[in-house]
Amino acid sequence: MAAMFAHRSVSLAIAHLLVGLCQTANVAQGGESAVDFTHDVAPLLSRHGCNASACHGKAEGQNGFRLSVFGSDPAADYEALTVASRGRRITPAAAEHSLMLEKADGTLPHEGGIRLEPGSPSWETVRHWIAGGALETDPDRPALTELELVPAHHIATFREKLPLRVMAHFADGSERDVSGEAVFHANDAGLADVDEAGVATIGTTPGVAAVLARYQGRVAVFQAVIPRAENPNLPLEPAPVLNDIDRLVDDTLAQLRLAPSDLADDATFLRRVTLDIIGRLPLPEEARRFLNDQSTNKRSQLVDSLLGRPEYADYWALYWSDLLRVDRERLGLANAHEYYQWIHSAMAENRSLRDLARDLLLAEGPLNEQPAGHFYRVSTKPGETAAAVAQVFLGIRIACAECHQHPYDQWTQQDYHGMRAYFEPVHAKPYGDSFALVTSGNPQVKHPRTGAPIQPYPLGTTMPDTSPEGDRRAALADWMTARENPWFARNLANRLWARFLGRGLVEPVDDMRATNPPGNPALMDRLARELVDHDYDAKAVIRFITGSRTYQLSSTPNASNAGDEKNFSRALFKRLPAEVLLDAVCDATGVPEKFTGLPAGLRAVQLWDSQAQHYFLKLFGRPARITPCECERASGASIGQALHLMNSPALQAKLSHEAGTAARLAGSGIDDDRVVETLYLSTFSRFPSAEELSEALQYLGTGTQPRRQRIEDLLWSLLNSQEFVFNH
Amino acid sequence: MKNQRRFCDGVNRRDFLRIGAAGGLGMHLPLARLLAAESDPRAARQDVSFIYVFLTGGLSTIDTFDLKPDAPSNIRGTFQPRRTNVPGIHVSGQIPNIAGVMDKFSLVRSFGHRNAGHGQADHYMLTGYHPNAAFNTGLKPNNQQPSLGSVIANEQGSRGNIPPYVCLPTMHNSASAAYLGPKAVPFVIEADPAAPGFEVPDLQPPLAVDASRLEDRRGLLSKVDRFQRSAEQQGNENARQLGAFSERAVDLMTSQQAKQAFDIHQEKPSLRDAYGRNTLGQSCLMARRLVEAGVRCVTIEHSNWDTHTANFSTLKDDLLPKLDLAMSSLFRDLADRGLLEKTIVLFTGEFGRTPQINKDAGRDHWSRCFSIALGGGGIQGGRAVGKSDKWAMDPAEDAYGPEDMAATIYHLLGIPPHKEMITPEGRPVMLSNGGRLIRELL
Repeated sequence: MAAMFAHRSVSLAIAHLLVGLCQTANVAQGGESAVDFTHDVAPLLSRHGCNASACHGKAEGQNGFRLSVFGSDPAADYEALTVASRGRRITPAAAEHSLMLEKADGTLPHEGGIRLEPGSPSWETVRHWIAGGALETDPDRPALTELELVPAHHIATFREKLPLRVMAHFADGSERDVSGEAVFHANDAGLADVDEAGVATIGTTPGVAAVLARYQGRVAVFQAVIPRAENPNLPLEPAPVLNDIDRLVDDTLAQLRLAPSDLADDATFLRRVTLDIIGRLPLPEEARRFLNDQSTNKRSQLVDSLLGRPEYADYWALYWSDLLRVDRERLGLANAHEYYQWIHSAMAENRSLRDLARDLLLAEGPLNEQPAGHFYRVSTKPGETAAAVAQVFLGIRIACAECHQHPYDQWTQQDYHGMRAYFEPVHAKPYGDSFALVTSGNPQVKHPRTGAPIQPYPLGTTMPDTSPEGDRRAALADWMTARENPWFARNLANRLWARFLGRGLVEPVDDMRATNPPGNPALMDRLARELVDHDYDAKAVIRFITGSRTYQLSSTPNASNAGDEKNFSRALFKRLPAEVLLDAVCDATGVPEKFTGLPAGLRAVQLWDSQAQHYFLKLFGRPARITPCECERASGASIGQALHLMNSPALQAKLSHEAGTAARLAGSGIDDDRVVETLYLSTFSRFPSAEELSEALQYLGTGTQPRRQRIEDLLWSLLNSQEFVFNH
Repeated sequence: MKNQRRFCDGVNRRDFLRIGAAGGLGMHLPLARLLAAESDPRAARQDVSFIYVFLTGGLSTIDTFDLKPDAPSNIRGTFQPRRTNVPGIHVSGQIPNIAGVMDKFSLVRSFGHRNAGHGQADHYMLTGYHPNAAFNTGLKPNNQQPSLGSVIANEQGSRGNIPPYVCLPTMHNSASAAYLGPKAVPFVIEADPAAPGFEVPDLQPPLAVDASRLEDRRGLLSKVDRFQRSAEQQGNENARQLGAFSERAVDLMTSQQAKQAFDIHQEKPSLRDAYGRNTLGQSCLMARRLVEAGVRCVTIEHSNWDTHTANFSTLKDDLLPKLDLAMSSLFRDLADRGLLEKTIVLFTGEFGRTPQINKDAGRDHWSRCFSIALGGGGIQGGRAVGKSDKWAMDPAEDAYGPEDMAATIYHLLGIPPHKEMITPEGRPVMLSNGGRLIRELL
């Protein structure tokens, strides 16, 4: 175990200097108030790692001495230090010989090594505390009301080093520098790292970075805007501002000294927006029509028509089936199908996302009448349901607070079990050949450590003394879907944004926390408002996003933004999702896939059963729906994928199929020019350039194989191109 | 594939396994620079390989490699110790064949670390780095730091026309390259070597496409694929990866060396039987074939060792018989071929299991103290390094952790453990996070 403490990369000199400054201030102030556990000692247990999950913070403690992990339960920690083991850990009469200090300062053997140097400010604080009678809480000391990192915002330069101070504000209006007692974490160490002393080191990538500090169970955040070193040469004719999104994006880009790329051409837009809205490639005829259309508003007309297509429901039902976990293994085939049908019809009707959430939360009765209720059977325990609701609809991960305080957020065990309490009365009872959801009784939830009763209450609110009358879930649903809920609309808007732009304003999309702030909070608010103002209509937000210049930018970088993949200065490549890619291959080759046991003509995006065996879909990252996390769908590349596209016998069978595209074009009597054009339109949704056309014609005109084989080869090379595999 | 036990967190890890994808930025190849080269230059043998058998879920080492026969029954469990071919070292009676090759490997019984959660602990053991705040277990891959195999691939490259790093039969979520980029991402077989008609999928073109047609196709592709090596590709992480993987895929297709190595059907049936005709056994045999053919690191992912319930019957009836054949055959076979001298073999889970037996006759997660088993490549066999305390709760002496394990393996491979990699953001990161050599093994 010694190894884990062996590496300290921190500049201890700076740490001690800063700690010294802050602590001196504290001790000087101590003339008026006694040193107590709650305010002075408890934070040090976090700061020096005593209550880390590897040490005394473990559920079973370490060598008989147990603290609550990350100091989530100060009362228990006080007892552990002063009362447990017959109070042998502190000796007020000879404070410096207290077991607690002698272990921590290395006088006695300590597996965790020396945590407090004798005579250091932290050591002195503990000694003072013990000598003064080991007071738990000085009632005259005001409670902590707010924690603040100073500065809170900063425009940084590459490689800059910036000392951060943590200011604690108390109920009596006083404030104190607690930098020496707080714990610091960097959210993305690549953008900006921080050491134990709170000195932030800025990296060499433009972007918006966050550093957080934790003290007495509260967190504060520092945000740095890291611009490029030079101003960009702005284009003479910058891309136009099309709606509010662009204004807000431009504000950030100007701060970062990034210039947006140019607008994408019509063909790129057509392919991009068709894939993003309905999850399939435009047909060659559709592409020809759009590209030849001369009307000025053809892009928004296209969006409107796509939103009205039946494939919209298929594609978005697939998305929600991942999140809400249509899992045949858990639910059984018939139930999973029923659940999927419910999701699909919600998408087909464009039911508001608020109603979708409410239907899920409030489902009751026989599941064949209320298929939304299958949601409760995907999770096995009320706590799991609560965590899924928080993650899917609020974008908040509370699962770690089941057992201890969330280390990077404000959530406590009480918060977790307060959410869990909403679902405690819900049970799925066998009913006919399925189940019925029943809510019954008024079960009391207890804090797993203290045993104190916990009433149902929403995240970020104060726990009431009683639980709501009737079905508790109604209160949660009302709170969650209220206009002013701080997370619901933002989370849903952020998820939609990420689908279209390739990356969330908060990333990962389901990890919203004070310490993972959006790079562009104003844009986040604006998107959420769009959703709320349109009655949670996803299609309205899709119109808003796709109508922006930001969405319509080209993926070609300019001189300023080649290194930027985080601030929406150009379009990002998005690998086609497994199902969409398979459908695209089928459409381009003209040979549909036949899934075992399912009707012919069923497209991969319509395949509701994520467990159906299929090598292609598995290889390209279809999720098994084990968690409610979007991250379960893999979008990365692999050698296996590359090999499959090149060599798969199944793909070759499609290329050479008697009824396939190559055979059809070869037998149709149309000339080579038109063949090449059709192949380009059906894969890349654009006409070939003059050079591409002549390369292709040359290929078709040479070689000893039959023309049909040469056409197959051309189609093979199109399918193996990055332009096909990516939405660009 | 009947064996679909879910882990304690409800997650069936096998479902998570996906063919690899990198989190790396190929643009920034690491400018590794040497700081404190602790490595002994005499140990710098470039030809050593590494087989890492990862027993996902957590092997119960108190029931296999570090029994406590004198503990109360709620700790010692039902297995009896037995002698090995090394005097003084005892292992479980359930692994008699392993006991017979004890002279070929050693145990570190004072091993442990600080995280008893799946996912985080896996990352810790497969990379030598504890993950930090932003860690997202569900990502595929989830590497914040490169796996050992990726570091090896990055530092030493390939031996001829065969990938330097291969994962079998599938890739663990934490076995990828992080910022080291596509050239350090493992090649993943994604097929079970124990399957009757096993072959690596798509390694050869379909029958209808002969060599000259393939050549024509590839020539055409290079003209059609306008994003290959374009500014757009350079500006998009996913596209950079796919570009690099396509090139490696072509190398692999044309490699006779690889084709031979992957053809497990060339092995004698009796040897295949000896390894055990199951996924673990045949994966170990495949690992030997690959190392023989020049692969530098093979990582085998084997699930499911998360024995929260019915620990003893599951081990006795299912898992240990497989481990016994696979592990003993691998050490013996490598030794017979003279390969053990230059092949490090490591068997471990992400942690061990609680000394205290739970109400379901199972054992839960225990990371504070467990045993790892390793041999070959310069490691002395027949040693039991360190001791656990009387109930295997904590190391009693010579505590070692994942950092030390990584440092020792890098050292034996001739890679200075304290060498630095530079991340794409310009941060220097040590190959092994301050680990010490486990000198008692050397």
